[in-house]
Amino acid sequence: MFADGAWLPIALGLYFAAALSAVIAVWRGRSVSTAMTLLAIALACHTVAIALRWVRLGHGPYVDLFEVLSSNVWSLHLAVLIAALAFPRIRASLAAILPLLQILVIWLLTVPERDTLAPVTYDTVWLPIHVTLGKIFLGCTVVAVGLSIVILIRRHRPEAFSVLPRCRALDELAYRFVLIAFIFETLMLIAGAIWAQDAWGRYWAWDPLETWAFITWLAVAGYLHQRAVWKPSPVLNAILVVGIFTLAFSTFFGTPFISTAPHKGAI
Amino acid sequence: MMKTLHGGLRRLASLRLTLACLALAALIALAGDVGGWPTGTLIAVPFVILFVNLAAAIATHGALRTQAGLFGFHLALACLALLAAIDRLSGLSGHVEVTQGTAFDPTLVEARIGPLHPGSLERVRFVQGRFEIDYAPRLKRRETRSTVYVPDDTGNWHPVIVGDDTPLVVGDYRFYTSFNKGFAPLLSYIAADGTIHSGAVHLPSYPLNFFKQGNVWTIPGTGREVKLWLHVPEPVFVEDAPWRFRIPDDAVLVIMDGAQRYELRPGDTVPLGGGRLRYEELRTWMGYTIDYSPMIPWMLAAAATAALSLAWHAIGKLRRSDWDRATGAEERAHVR
Ligand code: HEM
Repeated sequence: MFADGAWLPIALGLYFAAALSAVIAVWRGRSVSTAMTLLAIALACHTVAIALRWVRLGHGPYVDLFEVLSSNVWSLHLAVLIAALAFPRIRASLAAILPLLQILVIWLLTVPERDTLAPVTYDTVWLPIHVTLGKIFLGCTVVAVGLSIVILIRRHRPEAFSVLPRCRALDELAYRFVLIAFIFETLMLIAGAIWAQDAWGRYWAWDPLETWAFITWLAVAGYLHQRAVWKPSPVLNAILVVGIFTLAFSTFFGTPFISTAPHKGAI
Repeated sequence: MMKTLHGGLRRLASLRLTLACLALAALIALAGDVGGWPTGTLIAVPFVILFVNLAAAIATHGALRTQAGLFGFHLALACLALLAAIDRLSGLSGHVEVTQGTAFDPTLVEARIGPLHPGSLERVRFVQGRFEIDYAPRLKRRETRSTVYVPDDTGNWHPVIVGDDTPLVVGDYRFYTSFNKGFAPLLSYIAADGTIHSGAVHLPSYPLNFFKQGNVWTIPGTGREVKLWLHVPEPVFVEDAPWRFRIPDDAVLVIMDGAQRYELRPGDTVPLGGGRLRYEELRTWMGYTIDYSPMIPWMLAAAATAALSLAWHAIGKLRRSDWDRATGAEERAHVR
C-alpha cells in the first residue's frame, strides 16, 4: 500500500478532473454523472490519505494549515457530492461550485506537508465534535454558494445553466441550506465553548478566532432576518451568501494561522 | 391604553432594530479585534437592546408566536443572554502564583471580579507541592502535573493533581495550571535588630524567559533595592529532545548590592544592608488561572435548547419539498 502522502496527489488530480468534467458537461448540456463518479473516487482516495496520516500521527487533521486545509478540501467536496445525490435537480450546479473549490486544491498543493504534534489540550472528545460541526456548517454553506453562483452567472448570461430551476427556487433552496448551516454553526460554537472551558477554564474570551466566529454567526443571523424585512431579490441574497462564506472561510483559515495561535499552548 | 402599549411593543419588536443591533454587535467585536476595544463590556449595549427587542417580538410577533420551534429558539436565546449577563456580573476570572511549599494566598490574586460576586475566595485553602511538566522537542509544552494539598473536614491534607485541563475545584472556583511557572529562590533575612523575614522571590516564567532570570528585591526595613538573578550555567531544557521541567542542580544566585556582587549557593549567608541574608534553597512557583462561572450549566442548557428548537423549526421547513415552486412558475428542467 502507498504511504499517506502518495494518495493525496491522486485525490487532488481527480478533484480537478471532476471539476473540469462538470464544466464541460454543463457547457454541452449533458449530465454531470461522470463528474460525480470522479468526485466519489477522489473522495475515496483522499479518505485513505487522511486515515493513514491519522493512524501514523495519532491525531486527527486539525493541527496545522496543511491538515486543516486538506480536511476541508475533503469535507467541502463531500458536502457538494451529498447535496448532488440528495437533490438531483441541482446537480448541474456542480459546474459552478467545483471550479471554485479547485482554488483550495491548488492552495493545498503549495502548503508543505510536515508531521505535526497535537497540543495536550487537543486530547478531548469535544475537539472532533467541534471540528465535525464546523465542517458541516461550512459544507452546507458551500452548497448554498454553488446555487448562488448560478444566480450570479445568470445575471450576466440569463440562458446559463438552463437545466437548473429558476433563480427564485435556487434562492429558496440556498436559504434553507444556510438555515441548516446556521444550526450547525451554533452547535459548533457551543461545542467550542465547552472545549475551551475544559481546556483553558474559560468558555469565551474574545480571542481573534472566537471574535471572528461570533461575527460570522451574527452575519448569518443578519442574512436570515433581512429576508423577512426586505424580501430582497435572489441576486442580492446570492451576494450575501457568497459574503457569508468568504467571512466564514477567512475565519477558519485566516485567523488561526495569522494570529498568535490562540488555540495552542504557550511554552 | 392597551392599544398604545401594544403599538409601542410592536415598534420595539421591529426586525429592523434587530438587524441594526446585530450590525452594532459585529462592529463592536471587530473594534475589539482590530482596535483592542473592551468587547466583553461594550457588547452588553447591543445585547440589552436585542433582549428588549426580542421580548417585545415574543409578545407580539405573529411569526414567532405561531411557530413553536422558532419561538423556542428565540426564547432560549433571550434566556442565554440573561444568564450570560448574570454570569459575568457574578463571575471571577483571575490568576495567581503560588510558591512550592507555601499556601495559596487570596490577597495575591489578580482578577476581574463581577460586582455581584459573592466573594468567598478567602475560604479556599491549598498548599503547593511539587510539579512535573513534560516537554516535547522544540520546547513544546505537554502535560503539567502539579501536586497541591487540600485539607478535608477533619484537617487531614490530601494530594490532588492539577493540570492545564484538570482543575482543582474548591467551592465552585476552578484552578488550572497555566504556562506561567518558574523558579523561586527562598531567602531569609536577619535584620540588624534580630527580626527574621523569609520569603521567596519569583523569577520570570521559565523557559519562556530563560535568558532573563532576574528580579529586584527590597531589603526588609531599609527600602533599599538589590538586583538578583539566577545564573544557570547549563539550561535545564534541551531544544531538540524531550525533557522534563526540573530545578537546576548547578544554579548560582547572583546578588548585586550597588557595585558589590555576591554569588550564593543554597545555605550561603552574606552581610547585606546591616543584616544578614541567607539563601535557603531554590524552589519553584506555579501560576494558576482561576475561574468562577456559576451560570455555566444553565447557559449550556439554554444554548442546547436554542439549537434543538431551531433544528425542530428547520426540519419542519425542509420536509416541505416546495423549494423549487418558490416562483409558482412552471417547472423548468428534467432530472439529469
Ligand atoms: C442574535 C440573535 C438572533 C438570532 C441568531 C436569530 C435567528 C433567527 C433565525 C435562525 C430565524 C429563522 C429564520 C427562518 O426560518 O426563516 C429567525 C427568525 C425570526 N427572528 Fe430571529 N434571531 C435573533 C434575534 C431576533 C430578535 C432580537 C428578534 C426580535 C424582533 C427576532 C425576530 C425574529 C422573527 C420575527 C423571525 C421570523 C421571521 C419571519 O417572519 O420569517 N430575532 N431568527
